[in-house]
Amino acid sequence: MIKLTIKDLRLFFKDKRSMLLSFALPIALITLFALAFGGAGQGKKDTKISMQVSDLDQTPSSASAMQVLDSLKNVELLKMPLEKAQENIKKGDQACVLVIHKGFSDSLTAGKELPLELQYDEAQEIQVGLLQQSLIPTIAMLPFNIGNPKAVMRNRFDKMVPGASDTVKQNIQHKSDGLFDAITMGEMQSDGNDNAGAGLFGGDIKMTKLVAAEKDNSLGLVQAVAGTAVMMLLFSVVGIGAGILDEKQEGTLKRLLYTPMNPIKILFGKMISANVISIFQLVVMFLFASLVFGLDIYSHLSGLIITIVATAFACSAFGVFLASFAKSRQQVQGLSTLIILVMSAIGGSMMPIFFMPAFMQKIAVISVNFWSIQSFYDIFWRNLPITSGTFLSRILVLLLIGTILNSLAVVLFRKNILKLS
Amino acid sequence: MIAIKDLRKSYNSHEALKGISFNIKEGEFYGLLGPNGAGKTTTISIMSSILTPDSGEVLINGNNIYTHPNESKRIIGVVPQEIALYNELTAEENLWFWGGLYDVPKIELKKRIDEVLTLFGLSERRKDKVSTYSGGMKRRINIAAALLHQPRIVFMDEPTVGIDPQSRNLIFEVIEKLHSNGMTIVYTTHYMEEAERFCDRIGIIDNGQIIAEGTLDELRKSSSAKETIVITFNNLNDDKVQKIQSFWKDCNHTDDKIYFYTSDLKTELSKIISQCSDAGADIHNIEIKKVNLETVFLSLTGKQLRD
Repeated sequence: MIKLTIKDLRLFFKDKRSMLLSFALPIALITLFALAFGGAGQGKKDTKISMQVSDLDQTPSSASAMQVLDSLKNVELLKMPLEKAQENIKKGDQACVLVIHKGFSDSLTAGKELPLELQYDEAQEIQVGLLQQSLIPTIAMLPFNIGNPKAVMRNRFDKMVPGASDTVKQNIQHKSDGLFDAITMGEMQSDGNDNAGAGLFGGDIKMTKLVAAEKDNSLGLVQAVAGTAVMMLLFSVVGIGAGILDEKQEGTLKRLLYTPMNPIKILFGKMISANVISIFQLVVMFLFASLVFGLDIYSHLSGLIITIVATAFACSAFGVFLASFAKSRQQVQGLSTLIILVMSAIGGSMMPIFFMPAFMQKIAVISVNFWSIQSFYDIFWRNLPITSGTFLSRILVLLLIGTILNSLAVVLFRKNILKLS
Repeated sequence: MIAIKDLRKSYNSHEALKGISFNIKEGEFYGLLGPNGAGKTTTISIMSSILTPDSGEVLINGNNIYTHPNESKRIIGVVPQEIALYNELTAEENLWFWGGLYDVPKIELKKRIDEVLTLFGLSERRKDKVSTYSGGMKRRINIAAALLHQPRIVFMDEPTVGIDPQSRNLIFEVIEKLHSNGMTIVYTTHYMEEAERFCDRIGIIDNGQIIAEGTLDELRKSSSAKETIVITFNNLNDDKVQKIQSFWKDCNHTDDKIYFYTSDLKTELSKIISQCSDAGADIHNIEIKKVNLETVFLSLTGKQLRD
């Protein structure tokens, strides 16, 4: 088995095309995506972004506020208990939660600052930023739509001009009350999305990072490195797996069967070499990202190693499985290109999954890319410890995918490859 | 050494082997001849235990190869029909790999690699990738890779297909040396001259059956193949041809030649010459074609070996 592995490694490193596919091409793509993701998030106003809301106030006013938020065209509102919402963020399933704290109704009536808090995952800052564009004007206009604008104005004026005399205050108050009377009579009606008062009346939300990165790893960089590395790894391991079919075609597989070696060890040898090459490829990708783009890999070394090993295991199993499933290299190439591109698209290799529609985000779980990329996010962004249930569950899924695909490959190898040789 | 008993193998509805049986003695050079699709490679594959027969058994040294596959595989070397080598590895790397699969100790394997490279005249090219080799050189390494574990039995499946005369002669020398050292060799080939040159005994296989078996002399005697006397005439015309054909029915006429077929060349030759003279035909040349494996094969199967 070890001899087979060493032979495969030798063949791999002598094959210039494999080297190009495994190292040069992904490095070029990482560079491209890393540069391109600098402007990520722009032009995405039409994307519907999901936002969790936890109503701790439980009053008619807070319910009305949620109704207003629910009417936003580009926001999908998910009502959620706070603990569950926070758990979702920590898992990376959701970007944020808007917490309507107790006292919301009283503050609204008194025209005081609203006790609203947006707890969010720093890893999904782009999504939260997009959300804020819709959220801040809407919240700023809440007193006009469901509250007491006159009281708001009074409080604002007190804050803006703390030393003004009572006469001045009463005079301005009188004028502003008249202005709001005119608004409520329909001269400046708002539909809830009107941003007219946003600049003047604030719309402040307390922002709290529920999950935050310790170091300055940019989202675009992590996305570029993890997304591209996993996608390209899939392409290269399929090439390694398809080596079984080359061996069959060239007669070396048959010759291996003449030897006293157990036939299934031929497949195991291929699996081991695919794993070793996959690990090596991922290590090179992340070292490159660290050296050239400053990705901080050293603060997360243990998590990175675990994720690389699990990703390599799942991806190499995918390559070997596909080769055992197909009957010729041409068939593998056709199938793999299609499957890998689809998996990469839905799994978040080509763009962060939160840019995708909700149903796409749900089906992303069928992709190896999704579990791997999310694990890399767990390490570099969510700063989850390697003992975290969320991180470990993703690693477990990757290992499970690898085990299932390897087992299927063994069955298919006996059925297809050995039978035909 | 090798006992093949009533081997049967079918692929879907096609019956590739229809009950083949033969025995090979230790140190014997056994040739398996047959046209394409006759069942030679299927037989070799079953004997190498990479293909399971539907029924029948193969005993190597008394051991059933399916109940004792590893014992059998360790004493068998197989030279496959195709050049089964890793083109991107050097000759030496290939030999290290293939020899290593038989658990030959490293020091011993290194010695054997040096020996086979010298034997096949490739020592100087040992560090070159196989992809840079000529067809003949690849064939030589293909054979060398099967000898590293010093097998007692070697199956050679058409080992000299498509090679240059220099490589062919070198391979012949090696094969003869292996045989003289007592190695049991099972050899399939399309080339009659190779079978005639090497084989102690020959089995002729056609349509999944052994239709004849024996030494070359035994096959000649047992077949209905006749020797041919080819006489070229100076003044042959229809009248003379008619006269000759009237006394010798078993003959063919083309241009200025008449082919006379006989199973008793010694007594019939002078009679044919005398009657040709009586017919007024002026003999220019006489050529005698003795019965060879090609004619035996043709008479037995009705096919050329390369059909």
